[in-house]
Amino acid sequence: MVQASSVQIRQVDKFYGPFHALKKVSMDVLPGKVTCLIGPSGSGKSTLLRCINFLEEYDAGEIRIDDQLIGYESPGGRKMRGAKLREMRRSIGMVFQQFNLWPHMTALQNVAEGLVRVRGLSKSEAESRATEALRKVGLADKMGNHPLRLSGGQQQRVAIARAIAMEPKLMLFDEPTSALDPELVGEVLNVMKALAAEGMTMVVVTHEMGFAAHVADRVAFMEKGELVAVDEPSRILHSPEDPRIQGFLRTYHERNSF
Amino acid sequence: MFSVSTFLDSFAPLAMAARYTLLVSGLGIALGLVIGALICAARMSSNPVLRGFGGLWVSFLRGVPLLVQLLLMYYLLPVIGVNVPAIAAAVISVGICASAYISEIWRGAIAALPKGQTEAAQAIGMAPTTVWTRVILPQAVVMSLPALVNELILLVKASSLVSIVGIMEITRASQAQAATTFRPMEVYLAAACIYLAINLTLAAIGRYLENRMAV
Repeated sequence: MVQASSVQIRQVDKFYGPFHALKKVSMDVLPGKVTCLIGPSGSGKSTLLRCINFLEEYDAGEIRIDDQLIGYESPGGRKMRGAKLREMRRSIGMVFQQFNLWPHMTALQNVAEGLVRVRGLSKSEAESRATEALRKVGLADKMGNHPLRLSGGQQQRVAIARAIAMEPKLMLFDEPTSALDPELVGEVLNVMKALAAEGMTMVVVTHEMGFAAHVADRVAFMEKGELVAVDEPSRILHSPEDPRIQGFLRTYHERNSF
Repeated sequence: MFSVSTFLDSFAPLAMAARYTLLVSGLGIALGLVIGALICAARMSSNPVLRGFGGLWVSFLRGVPLLVQLLLMYYLLPVIGVNVPAIAAAVISVGICASAYISEIWRGAIAALPKGQTEAAQAIGMAPTTVWTRVILPQAVVMSLPALVNELILLVKASSLVSIVGIMEITRASQAQAATTFRPMEVYLAAACIYLAINLTLAAIGRYLENRMAV
């Protein structure tokens, strides 16, 4: 079992100039649970996710990871020192829509890099842990490949290995399968499912309703910067009360019926 | 009539003069790379004074002909009490001029890197200097290679301008040779061949490096 973090989001506001991207969003992410963020594009799901590790700076409110405020020294106070923020980020893994692997490094080097440069492990120790992480995502035989020599699904699995090698207590996924060809989606979702089964706390921005329905413990629906509802998957996906969710699901099902 | 023997005889003295061409363009690009890196850093800095300085540096050096810069350097240095040989003034001028273009080449390469490259490093808690040395610069250097080879070839040709301050590089040597042999066409044709040989070699080295460093 991995050590699992919890996340508390309270009254978070985020502006891009005059655009109100997040409107007083509050939500709890429970330890060891999978929370999926769904909603139309531009609804603020990715922004909210990126605020959790402070890649995106929220303007007001609080985000706490295991009761520790991220990004600021105190609520509404000065920005956190870089070293402190980096220390917090070490235990938060992130997987991006575009994989963001480093193209000048092999799969193994991509995974080992953080272990050497951030965790300070020796090269040999880092490589053996990186190998282990790559084996876990089913890519032990692709260690020496550069990212461009891998399929999208394989690249995303390397990216997941890069994150889990750091032994995070929380994993953030920003539309991890949206850039993939349909036939490659499954292999990535399977790796995520296995990670969820180990008890990892996961926050997943996704358009994969099947994944949300079957793997998530909770589903949050966002629209226009607001968190409309957070509930069990079936309550959101099968019998939503809010007309905004009903509308979103109708559009989703219409698109998928083509 | 075209004199083949004059044409062939021109190669030996011009090849000797090519040493200065290579010296000026080689040291010029080396200086340009160092100063270019500093100017690039200044232009990308968060300090507005440094940014402004970098901007002025690039605008001035790109906006004034190298020939004029050379003459300025040649006549200016003694006035401010710096007595350097002509060759030093030439190398410094060429290097400073190249730095303006090189800083822009690097700024472009760095700006062309997807933001996600840096974000992936930040997300695992990597320190900013490590992000630069391990993620940004290795990729930016490879991306800038074709443009840098291009710049070096331009410098080899631009080095003919340093003949104005009396340096016996290929162009000036061929002028002298033409004057004594009364065979300008043969001599300049030989000069053209030497420039071409140098630049084709540089282009080939550039391609080799690109292939080797490509991911």
